[in-house]
Amino acid sequence: MADQANFEQDAMQYARQLYSAAMRMTRNPSDAEDLVQETFLKAYRAYHTFEEGTNLKAWLYRILTNTYINKYRKDSRRPSEVDLGSVEDLYLYRNIGSEESAEAARTTEDRVLDGLVESDIKKAVEDLPENFRLPVLLADLEGFSYKEISDILDIPIGTVMSRLHRGRKAMQKSLWEYAVKRGLVPEGAERP
Amino acid sequence: MSGHECDDALTNLYQYLDREIEASTTEVIRAHLEDCSGCLKSFDFEARLQIVVRERLAEDVPDEFLQRLRDAIAREAASS
Repeated sequence: MADQANFEQDAMQYARQLYSAAMRMTRNPSDAEDLVQETFLKAYRAYHTFEEGTNLKAWLYRILTNTYINKYRKDSRRPSEVDLGSVEDLYLYRNIGSEESAEAARTTEDRVLDGLVESDIKKAVEDLPENFRLPVLLADLEGFSYKEISDILDIPIGTVMSRLHRGRKAMQKSLWEYAVKRGLVPEGAERP
Repeated sequence: MSGHECDDALTNLYQYLDREIEASTTEVIRAHLEDCSGCLKSFDFEARLQIVVRERLAEDVPDEFLQRLRDAIAREAASS
């Protein structure tokens, strides 16, 4: 069992990462600060139940996501499904690749990857319905394994995989729209 | 891109990039990517996109907030 006296030393190293995740969850700095602070205080109080040598980062994220879900997930007007319509796998890549030559496609790929700014990517994640946003954040921002995400969110690994898959597809759809809007893809490449 | 090897590779793309696949399947995919420039390009793009997403999602944390957080923990410790 972990010693409360060591909590700050053990846990503070994760504060920056938790704050990034909290920003993408709550979408604003003041709620993100509240969420991280509440997470750390809960974690401090419960630290004697944390089994030393196990995954502290995942334990903190579990508290973070549970706190977030209980406190902030009250807005039921937001959709809980992603509308993927005709969005295929590799959506972004394939749309870019509809150019004539491989060289031109490569140039466009570079332009898109360089030109999508932070706010585009953040918005693409923030606009995902919760069910999809949390797995995408845990995998793509934090690099947690499927098993860790399954433990943190209390959902089966198969569900983690399908939500990640659909969430990433929906993100690519948004990113393509931003790329078109910013003029990163050649005229005429836009799909209706 | 064509053929069932390409389909198999694509089906496993994310599990491959997420390092969530058995070593034997990883080997099969790796061998396919050596032979198939179409699949290699799409895998490469997705890998680059993952890096871009990770880098640009990270947030700068205000130092004052980290200090407030330490203070809040210290207050909690003092009161318990």
